[in-house]
Amino acid sequence: MKKKIVSVLLAASMILSLTACGGSGNAGAGASSTEAGSEAAATASVTNTASNVLAINLASEPDYLDPTLSSSSDGGSLAENSFAGLYRYNQQEELVPAIASEMPEVSDDGITYTVKLKETKWSDGSDLTANDFVYSWNRAVDEKTAADYGYLFDVIKHKDDGTLEVEATDDYTLVITLAAPCPYFTSLMAFPTFFPVPQASVEAADPDGTNPGAWAQEAGFVSNGAYTLSEWKHNESMVYVKNPNYYDAENVTMDELHFMLSADDTAIYAAYNSGDLDFADTVPNDEVPALKSNPEFHVIDNLGTYYLAFNVGADLFKDKTAQQAADIRHAIALLIDRRYIVDTVAQCDQIPADSYIPVGMSDGNGGIFKDDKVSYYDAESTDVEQAKSLLEGAGYSFTDNGDGTYAISPALTIPYIINENTVHQGVAECIQQDLAVLGIEMNIQTEDWNVFLEDRKKGNYTFAREGWLADFDDPINMLEMFASNSGNDDPQLGKSDSPAAPAWDEYDKLISDIKSTTDFAKRVEMMHQAEDMLMNTWAVIPVYYYNDLYVQKGNVDGVYSTIFGHKFFMYATKK
Amino acid sequence: MAKYIIKRVILAILSILIVSAITFFVMELIPGGPFNKEKATSAQAQAVLEERYNLDKPVQVQYVLYMRNILHGDWGVSLKTGRDIWNNITSKFAVSARLGGTAAILAIIAGLILGSLAALTRNRWPDRLIVFFTTLATAMPSFVLATLLLLVFCLQLRLIPVWSPTNPNYILPIIALSLYPMAYVTRLAKTSMLDALGQDYIRTAKAKGVSTVKVIFLHALRNALIPVITYVGPMVAYILTGSMVVENIFTIGGLGTEFVTSITNRDYPTIMAVTLFLAILMVIANLLTDIAYKLVDPRITFN
Repeated sequence: MKKKIVSVLLAASMILSLTACGGSGNAGAGASSTEAGSEAAATASVTNTASNVLAINLASEPDYLDPTLSSSSDGGSLAENSFAGLYRYNQQEELVPAIASEMPEVSDDGITYTVKLKETKWSDGSDLTANDFVYSWNRAVDEKTAADYGYLFDVIKHKDDGTLEVEATDDYTLVITLAAPCPYFTSLMAFPTFFPVPQASVEAADPDGTNPGAWAQEAGFVSNGAYTLSEWKHNESMVYVKNPNYYDAENVTMDELHFMLSADDTAIYAAYNSGDLDFADTVPNDEVPALKSNPEFHVIDNLGTYYLAFNVGADLFKDKTAQQAADIRHAIALLIDRRYIVDTVAQCDQIPADSYIPVGMSDGNGGIFKDDKVSYYDAESTDVEQAKSLLEGAGYSFTDNGDGTYAISPALTIPYIINENTVHQGVAECIQQDLAVLGIEMNIQTEDWNVFLEDRKKGNYTFAREGWLADFDDPINMLEMFASNSGNDDPQLGKSDSPAAPAWDEYDKLISDIKSTTDFAKRVEMMHQAEDMLMNTWAVIPVYYYNDLYVQKGNVDGVYSTIFGHKFFMYATKK
Repeated sequence: MAKYIIKRVILAILSILIVSAITFFVMELIPGGPFNKEKATSAQAQAVLEERYNLDKPVQVQYVLYMRNILHGDWGVSLKTGRDIWNNITSKFAVSARLGGTAAILAIIAGLILGSLAALTRNRWPDRLIVFFTTLATAMPSFVLATLLLLVFCLQLRLIPVWSPTNPNYILPIIALSLYPMAYVTRLAKTSMLDALGQDYIRTAKAKGVSTVKVIFLHALRNALIPVITYVGPMVAYILTGSMVVENIFTIGGLGTEFVTSITNRDYPTIMAVTLFLAILMVIANLLTDIAYKLVDPRITFN
């Protein structure tokens, strides 16, 4: 007891001294509580929740629980646990049938997919049939639904009236006609946007079609997954209970899932350490080094890349040729010490990136896309001499300062935008120091998240922090975003009319050809060609490949995650 | 008094109209938009959404349409979640009112007691102790206090859960929210109590043989209440709008969080609705404060 009182007083004095010093409020407060928290985690892993309940934090309040409308990673996890599509990923990350009774039967030309369904039910006891998929998929592509991921259905052939070539030939058989052979279509059918939604509920809640997500805005909506939502206190908590009508209900181990709806790292970590949470999908960045030796800390692979983007139409490249502009960007890429960033800022053993397409991504032809031959620079070291030489070719000259650094003439100042986040700030400061070696000044500008997104999309920036987590396991997902008709083409490739911007018609054509080719081996070659073209612009500068971290109590087992970051809790067990 | 109230209500309606216009047009000037996402919304989807929510129309037309809907009792739906805004705000307000209302009552009652005690024991140890704690509470930001409470009562002593879906913890957030206004009320009450105790009518009452308890509670405290009542309006505003950090730390879905996230999300109808809701609340709070003056001090007239 005496020890407790002393520790409380010490903690109190720590916080008071932080206040008195006028330090960064949030950081200070976070550090104090989490330090105490990590001590607790290291000494005793406490859990307060019942053995049939899993208490989880994924993120704050989700925007939508309708799987068609949800587009966030946490929304994907919630959908995976409360809805079921035709297929799903198992613990070995293999695609296995879910509502489908077997893997799809594919025609010889790769165009027609026939999927047989199990006889399953919605949570209200009504039958779930192939027509539910026909309705749900057509709803997803309907403009009125305005689904973020509606474009994923572009691989399916569209009829003249805009609906999909998807037919229910009987209650339990679905026939899908693709626009062109698609090597990743089965994995798409495991993506939440392809999950069914209950037509009767959707239409009853939104008779005039102006609020498509209305049916799933409160607890009690009909679903077909392992759990149904029984209680939702907005911005506080959600309680999911086991769905007896789930096709695999007998194997669902947890009776209830309780979700803490918070994005406050300090509160989440405190809840985890106090035993109120069994699983937290985030920890304060400052805690990562201390947690690395804790068996409750897990780092898993993710399919995505943290990168930097240059706006190819920025004023920085005014008066330069396209080649000189690319050389300037190339020089910046060579100056970045990725290993240092990973070791000191990201801290989760991420792999420094030497390509845009991440390690481990399938190539759509039975192989892995990135092998040792795909490397655009040495990610483990910097190359100041080559960077200097490239910049000299672009019209800059250098004076040796005699201390390993140089002064550049004319001055080169690069504004760099980030959103408010300790990791992004840390990465930015590392790059700032790396560029200073050649006298390049990088001004870090922190923007409000919403403004940041808009500036990047509209090209109101020079240099920006970027990142992309793949939606499905195929390089096209990460390559097509740079086609000039894409809303995600933040570098403004093919959009900028600056003479310093690279010609981009060939890339657009290549992406279009990749999507329509029937030769998968050639498709792989074409995707490599597209990545080469992208990397040759140096408008995209990879930093590291993403991974995913979470903490999970030692007595919990059986939670698994896909490389897309979706978490499955239904088969978890607690000792 | 009725005439005064009618006049105040008319002025209040005018104030709210001005607040609505300023908020609406300033909001439109802020960069960013409601449909900005890391993975871009397609151009077609964006066009559908803008048409659905009248965002494709000139801003003045949007304002007229918005006010027309408000007058018909339609507060619209959130651009971010599609949820009905009126239901959302009222449910969040119920949480904030329970939290903030309790914090306000605690702050006033404890502040008056401590302030009176400090005045009556001036320059003795209870007064010095109260002054020390009020200075500390005034200097300490609510997020620091909230974190400290979390650390002590949830993590160290384990008396209260950090988060619970079935048994949410309101004790610590109420303390975190009430401490600063309580310290302020204590200081106000002490000063005005000291002032009241030095007045002639107190001396007269004492000379007439009125008991000390009656002198303090019937005469001095009543007069000491006036500056405290003046502070109640701003205090309600502080608690309701300043509760976001405390709500976040204790995972409470109140109006403070709603207000801040609606601005971050550029959820225009929600920003408007919360602003108008709070403006109406403030106008009512100020009106009630003025009426309370009259009840406490009959010398105050509405003319």
